[in-house]
Amino acid sequence: MTSQDYESGTINGVKYVKYGDHIDTVETVDAVFHEQRKLSFAYGFVFFAVTLAIPALTVTSEWWYAGTGKGFTPNWMVVSLLYYVFLWVMAWMYSKQADSLDERLNKMADKAEADLTAREGAQA
Amino acid sequence: MNVLAIVLVVVLVAFTIGLSIFSRRFTRTTADFYLAGRKVGSFANASAISGDYLSAASFLGVAGAIYASGLDGVWFAAGFAGGFMVVIIFIASALRRFGEYTIPDFAFGRFGSHRIRLVAVLCVLITCFFYMAPQMFGSGTTWRVLVGQGIFGMDPYNSGVVVVTVVMMFYVAMGGMKGTTLNQIFQFWWLWFAMFLVVAFAFGGGFNYQDALKRASGSPIINTKKMTVGELTKVNPATGKAPIDSARKIMAEHSDPADLAKVEAAIAAGDPAAKVNVALPSKNKLHETREMLLNEPGHRYNAFDQFSMVLALVLGTAGLPHILNRYYTNPSGSAARRSTFWVLVFIGTFYIMTPIAGIAGLHAIKAAVAAGNAPATADYVNGLLIRPDAVMPTLGRLLGGEFLMGVVAAGAFAAMFSTIGGLLIAASASIGHDVYEKYINPGASEAKKVFVGKTSVIIISLISLLIGLGIPYLGLDQAYPALIAMMVTWAFSVSASAFVPMLLAGIWWKGATERGAIAGMVVGLTSSISVIVLNILQQLGHVGKEGLVGFLGSLTFPVLFTFPLGLLTIIVVSKLDGQLPKNVDEIWMRIHGTAHERYERDHGLDKVGGLLKSK
Repeated sequence: MTSQDYESGTINGVKYVKYGDHIDTVETVDAVFHEQRKLSFAYGFVFFAVTLAIPALTVTSEWWYAGTGKGFTPNWMVVSLLYYVFLWVMAWMYSKQADSLDERLNKMADKAEADLTAREGAQA
Repeated sequence: MNVLAIVLVVVLVAFTIGLSIFSRRFTRTTADFYLAGRKVGSFANASAISGDYLSAASFLGVAGAIYASGLDGVWFAAGFAGGFMVVIIFIASALRRFGEYTIPDFAFGRFGSHRIRLVAVLCVLITCFFYMAPQMFGSGTTWRVLVGQGIFGMDPYNSGVVVVTVVMMFYVAMGGMKGTTLNQIFQFWWLWFAMFLVVAFAFGGGFNYQDALKRASGSPIINTKKMTVGELTKVNPATGKAPIDSARKIMAEHSDPADLAKVEAAIAAGDPAAKVNVALPSKNKLHETREMLLNEPGHRYNAFDQFSMVLALVLGTAGLPHILNRYYTNPSGSAARRSTFWVLVFIGTFYIMTPIAGIAGLHAIKAAVAAGNAPATADYVNGLLIRPDAVMPTLGRLLGGEFLMGVVAAGAFAAMFSTIGGLLIAASASIGHDVYEKYINPGASEAKKVFVGKTSVIIISLISLLIGLGIPYLGLDQAYPALIAMMVTWAFSVSASAFVPMLLAGIWWKGATERGAIAGMVVGLTSSISVIVLNILQQLGHVGKEGLVGFLGSLTFPVLFTFPLGLLTIIVVSKLDGQLPKNVDEIWMRIHGTAHERYERDHGLDKVGGLLKSK
């Protein structure tokens, strides 16, 4: 797929791009973008907050980096094991939510496409 | 020479070449050569991305860093894995939706100018060479440990670099992305099982992870180094002391008396260029009043670097050209996310095993040196390896004899092959696709384009060969403990600073302009490389620690400054410029729209077509 495979134009003042027999308009894409941004930035915030909390504790909290003297300090335990569990849970949840968001947005785009095609037909 | 180990490596190489020859019949178009026909399924793609990603740094370097530095080394593993969260959240599906072949394609499509594509090509090539350097160094050091002797009159290090380059050049040029993908899947699972076997043999032999870590953390870390007599006896005018003073103290307390006797004999002989193995005290760079214990942070990084390293690793992954190119091989955005989830599972389980291997290495090697049966393929002092990067093969030899050392050595070569393969494809795509096809001969036939791609692979390989051969002459292996992991982190710093601000701004901010993106890439690239070079010069003793230059040179990872600098440059220049592409709405609809995904869904094109098919 390259830019050559897309057609672009305007119907009734609505800008669109067309790929095969499917259309995206600025309005539907903006709706997709805002929902996607909300999801991505929410997850991004949690990811960076947790990730940067680790060096923050490493610099400031003796309990965290010196621990109990039993070998595994809390710092070691988190960085060598628990952080991966956090990543797996985050990635799984994000994938599922992004998939269902895609599905919802595809339906929305299908509906907008049908409306636009109908308007185009009426105009013709 | 370890015969069984060499046989296993030869089998790996033969299989790799065979797979490339086999996949050649499926590589007819440029989409096949660079993108494996865009039909790689999630599991296969996740395995291939993992193979692409887990390089000599992950297989040899991380365990070596943990062996030498403890907790600060563990962060390499966690940070390498964490990087994929940035990819999955911010980059993966948008990149796949936008399509095209490469990052320079994205830059061109998003910002609409030829010069940004060429700037991106330059950044891709520089990043690839930064990443190629540790793979080449790993080839030489692994050959030195495994074979111990050179071929065709070369020393063992140079022999390793030459052999790996020649094999890689052949198999990537032959198999293209399909052959490379098939090889990366196989190579990833080999190195995963190699790590698993080492850990399983360790536990099977009675190793107790927690107990070993506790005992290793019972006294301060001791650094090991190979130094010249001149360096060892050079008095620091500020303190009036020479390194030999502290080496004598440490070695008298902890070492075999023979180790110190060798050092004293070399000093007495009076040759300042003579090299000796010494043990030196460590210093806690983070909590300066505390002793530097293995299970605590601070052996490598001060407070600034603790943050900067994390950012370098998690942001750098999102800008690695050979990793991002793989996202174009997914059949859909959803498949791209699924692939990333499985990558996190695959590499996460691998990285969980690396600290266990590093600590098992400390435990087993110290015991072997004390018992006098440590492998002769490595140098030791104070019961520790001089080169921590040799911990995996040495541990393999101790735990499972020639068989396990062979599996580990083949795993190390698999790690290097898979990453070098991805880098060669990414770099050759930049030359063959982004430059030749777009500017030199746009009307070239498919056969001609594939031929140019293969020629690019050969050229990139030869430049990498020169880099690999040149590293020992710079003395970097003596300036940095666990150099392989360190050099990879430099590559991450460059990609995080040059590409990630442009990608994030391009995907998430409609107001980013072409001038802003170019300025951001150039500032990110030059600032990160400048700081890395200053750091190297400071470590080699050519730059002092005073003033602004001294401060910049002290930054092990520049990302905490250079990433925001690149991003800020894009924002400021874009605001001042205000020249958005005329078709910005159309571009925006292509990045975030779903028309083509709906088209592919309706026509069944979002399904995996199989690697072993040609268009």
